[in-house]
Parts: sequence; structure tokens; C-alpha cells
Amino acid sequence: MQTPDTTTVVGADEEHDLDRPWVTIVWNDPVNLMNYVTYVLQELFGYDEPTATTLMLQVHHEGRAIVSSGPKERMEHDTSRLHAYGLWASYQRDS
Amino acid sequence: MRPFRRKGGDVVARLDPAEAGIIGLLLDQLEQLLQAAEDDVAGDPVLTRLLPDGHRGDPELAADYRELTETSLRSGKADDLATVRATLPPTGGEVRLDPDQAAAWLRSTNDLRLALGTRLEITEETEPPEDVTGEEDQQLVVYYWLTGLQGSLVDALAAGRGGRR
Repeated sequence: MQTPDTTTVVGADEEHDLDRPWVTIVWNDPVNLMNYVTYVLQELFGYDEPTATTLMLQVHHEGRAIVSSGPKERMEHDTSRLHAYGLWASYQRDS
Repeated sequence: MRPFRRKGGDVVARLDPAEAGIIGLLLDQLEQLLQAAEDDVAGDPVLTRLLPDGHRGDPELAADYRELTETSLRSGKADDLATVRATLPPTGGEVRLDPDQAAAWLRSTNDLRLALGTRLEITEETEPPEDVTGEEDQQLVVYYWLTGLQGSLVDALAAGRGGRR
């Protein structure tokens, strides 16, 4: 890995902090099938099957899971892609 | 019904005439709901579930999200419905789907299950009825039948993805 130049990194991080603390959450619902949720998470986010399965089980058992994080606009987009597949999703500032 | 299986690059299932008829009917109902005037269906729980809020707790953000995404969400659902209708044998028979058509079926059958499940107030404890005595039991039977059909489609598509590796 490359060692970053310290001065640029500090600047970049500050800028990032304004943009980054947003997350997309998938909520548990009684209709969506477990294999469907796993499939959709792989399809939309490119997760491998074990990762998608872990997230699906987290949704199932804990009621919710964070499936992506990044700038607000991307979380809006991710949420709308999940809604297109009928998953119960929302985005919010990471708490 | 013969559930979905993979055949080459396609997925293939077979539907009885009555099953094809039920899907057609459910598609009609979903289409009517999505095309209904806003005032007529305001607060309808199925519509709320199919076009959910993007943000919880901040009405302004939720409204922004809706303005940004609802039109394309609705048109995506309409396109999927049209694809399912075009590939559904009206009197039953073989359903053969290429990957794009299969994706439309996947989303549409999920919407149909969400619509039925919301109307029937399905919970994780709900089970298929042992005796079918009323209309609600019949709808539950349809719901679980659709669950089987969609489950087989997911499995067939997931198996295809494994094969592509």
C-alpha cells in the first residue's frame, strides 16, 4: 500500500466527513424471502454469497442491517435500487 | 405448476391454466392500484409498502426522496408488469424467460407477494391454512403458492450465478 502524503490526507478527510456519514439500512419484513434478500444484496452491491447471507441474517435476527455507506446522494440511490426490488430500506446519517 | 428450473441461459417453469389466470388477475389489481388517482388511494397500506418512505423521522428528507425517485420507481414497476404480462401464457403452459425477463418476474412476483401479504397482514408467525374455509384462506393459499413460485425463481437464478463463476 502506498503511504499517503499527510497534508493532503487531512484535507481530504475533512471534506469526506461532510459527505460520508450516511448509511443505507435494510429493515426486516415478514414477506421478503431470505433467499431473495440474499440474492438482491449480491445483485445490487456485488457482495459475495457469504457476505450477503450474513447481512440477510442480521436483518432477519436483529431487525436491520447497514448494507452500504457513503455520501448522501449515493445512499438515496442505493435506497431507491432496493425499493425497486421491494426490500424495505431507508437511508440516514450514521449514528 | 412445475417450478422454475435453469435451462441453458434461460429459466423455465410450467403453469396450469388456473395459475396463469391468477397471476393475470393479480397483475391487473396491482396495475390498477399503481395507476389510481392519488386521492383515491392515499394511505393505502399496499401502496405505502410498494412505494415506501426513503427516510424515517425527517419528513423533509422523505419528501425530497419521493420527489427524486417515485416516478422512476413507478415506471420500473409498470415496465416489469408489462414484461410479465407479455411472457405469461394466458391459458397456462411453459414460461421461458431470458435474464432480463426473469429479473422482471422476480420483482413483479415480489410486489404481488408484498401486496397480498400486506392486505392479509402476514407476520413471521403466519402459516399456510390447514383448512380452506373462507376467502382469506383462499388468498393465503395463493400467497403461499406465489411464495413457492418466486422461491424457485430465486434458486434458479442464484444457481445460474454460481455457474458463471
